[in-house]
Amino acid sequence: MWPGGLRARLLVAFVLVTVLGAAAVAWSSARSASSALAAGAEQQFVETVTNQITANAAGLTYPPGQSTLDQLASAVGADTTVTYQHLRSTTGPDTDLVTDAVRAAVQHGDSLFVQRIAAQGRPWLIVGTPVMITSTTGARTPSGIQVYAVRDLTGVQRQIDSLTRSEAITTGLALPLAVLLALVAAGSVLRPVRRLRDTARRLSAGDLDARAVPRGADELADLTVTLNVMAESVQTSMAAMRRMQDDARRFAADASHELRTPLSTLTAVMEVLAAASEEMDGDARESAQLAIAETHRLVQLAEDLMEVSRFDAGTARLRTEDVEIGGAVRDCLRTRAWTDRVALSAPEEIWSRCDRRRLDVIVANLVGNALRHGAPPVRVSVSGTPEQVWIEVTDSGPGLPEHVLPHVFDRFYKADEARTRAPGSGLGLAIALENTLLHGGELTAGNASSGGARFVVRLPRGREDT
Amino acid sequence: MRRAWRAWWAMAAALAAVLALIAGCGVTPTGVRAAGQAPGGVAPGPTLYFVDSHEHLQPQLRPTEQLGTIAEALSLLLAGSPGDADLHSEIWGVGTVQVTVTMAPGVVRLMAPLAFTDVTALGIEQIVCTALGVDVQRGGARSSKVQIVFTQPTPESDTLRTCPLISPGG
Repeated sequence: MWPGGLRARLLVAFVLVTVLGAAAVAWSSARSASSALAAGAEQQFVETVTNQITANAAGLTYPPGQSTLDQLASAVGADTTVTYQHLRSTTGPDTDLVTDAVRAAVQHGDSLFVQRIAAQGRPWLIVGTPVMITSTTGARTPSGIQVYAVRDLTGVQRQIDSLTRSEAITTGLALPLAVLLALVAAGSVLRPVRRLRDTARRLSAGDLDARAVPRGADELADLTVTLNVMAESVQTSMAAMRRMQDDARRFAADASHELRTPLSTLTAVMEVLAAASEEMDGDARESAQLAIAETHRLVQLAEDLMEVSRFDAGTARLRTEDVEIGGAVRDCLRTRAWTDRVALSAPEEIWSRCDRRRLDVIVANLVGNALRHGAPPVRVSVSGTPEQVWIEVTDSGPGLPEHVLPHVFDRFYKADEARTRAPGSGLGLAIALENTLLHGGELTAGNASSGGARFVVRLPRGREDT
Repeated sequence: MRRAWRAWWAMAAALAAVLALIAGCGVTPTGVRAAGQAPGGVAPGPTLYFVDSHEHLQPQLRPTEQLGTIAEALSLLLAGSPGDADLHSEIWGVGTVQVTVTMAPGVVRLMAPLAFTDVTALGIEQIVCTALGVDVQRGGARSSKVQIVFTQPTPESDTLRTCPLISPGG
């Protein structure tokens, strides 16, 4: 979240804007301050030179001799050169810095000239001026005396440097402040976003009553309202769907329950008919036997439907006890007279807590399915670890085709449409699966390496009563 | 992630640019610029004013090799003969004297050891023009006035005078 998120982006933008703004202000103020400082120093120096010349000029001999030039040069100060025709007086070595441009300007002009230069890694100010002769009427003519003075501006440069340094520090100080403000701003934006996220997370976790409280009147509040509307409509349709599902389940349960009474009557009648069919002849006997078989199937179907609807309604309960798995499987096979058609391999006694009736249903459905759709021999093997129990049912038929595998546990799924009249309700594997799941176990379908279909039941061992 | 890093880089680059910009401030070299009037004040000598035979003021350069002060110029004027047959002075009986000069804004005040009756109107103009001429040559304004304070109380002592040869419009 930290480097790439909305918060970071807000932070960067905020800090950039603030620092750039502060820097622009700092830059412009430092610039104007430094130019004012430089101009101030320049003006002061020009005034000093002018005043010194003016104050001493009236006392100077004209035309001047060397001593006069010396007098004027020392009056103006250090680093000054005074020239008159071929005469020259200098009070410092730095006057070598006087540029030809200044000399040319002074030679031909009648005003004072200045130039700033950088030399020897330092800034310098050069002042050059002719000394004028003013007539009594104010007319000015050059006297031929020229004064050049040089001043080191390092002090000013240092002042400007310290100024810019303090500006830079100020700009730097704006940085943490900007970060703080950005965090506050990001927080005020991200808090509603986080609330929305939490609400959406609760909704997706199944809490359809979750709603976010919209605050304020901004886009995020709009989004919150929209999310609430969405949650409302999802909740409404979910409720409608659940009601319809419940209705359908109840219908299946009711229908199968209502079928029981007539079916038990029908079963009784069929027993009578079975007894009587012994004396029937030919076609009539065959019809009677068909009716008996179909009635048995109908009873089985109604029983299975009731079982499934109990699972759907969530009313199925485990009644666990300590069961010896191998023995239970053997009992199951013996009850249904399958022992001669099924090879059981249960090498050791494995005790586990489970529901004996449901275990019987699981094994009966798997073995019955193998006998009906696969080919003998059918093998059942029981094995176990301290945590798990495995029951494996394998037949020797052609196995399950690839396209059937995902649907093998679907209700009323028939792998082969041509065999719709095969005995069995079409609910057997679904019921076996539900019973396994009720135990907290797992039922998988696949093909054995020898080619037949293989179903594996895995049950947790020593499971406590639920 | 990469976008965020790019943003950080952009920020660092902006900061660096800002610092470079600030550091760029300083005393920068310039070309040659005119920065006001050149100072003046040297002269071969002061200009004294005398009266010619037509009763007009005439300037006369006294080559003392330096301009000197107003007081020095006035001393020369009061002390002396023009040294020229055509010119004369209309200030009498003074001899070598010291004139005290005080400067007020726009006014040159002279404390002359003279009575108002010692000078003619032209004599007063001689003094005014000589004083004003030296003042202008030393860098003063042509529009300055001259006040002569006489030894005897007289309203003339308060008059602010101008020189017709120097003062603008005079």
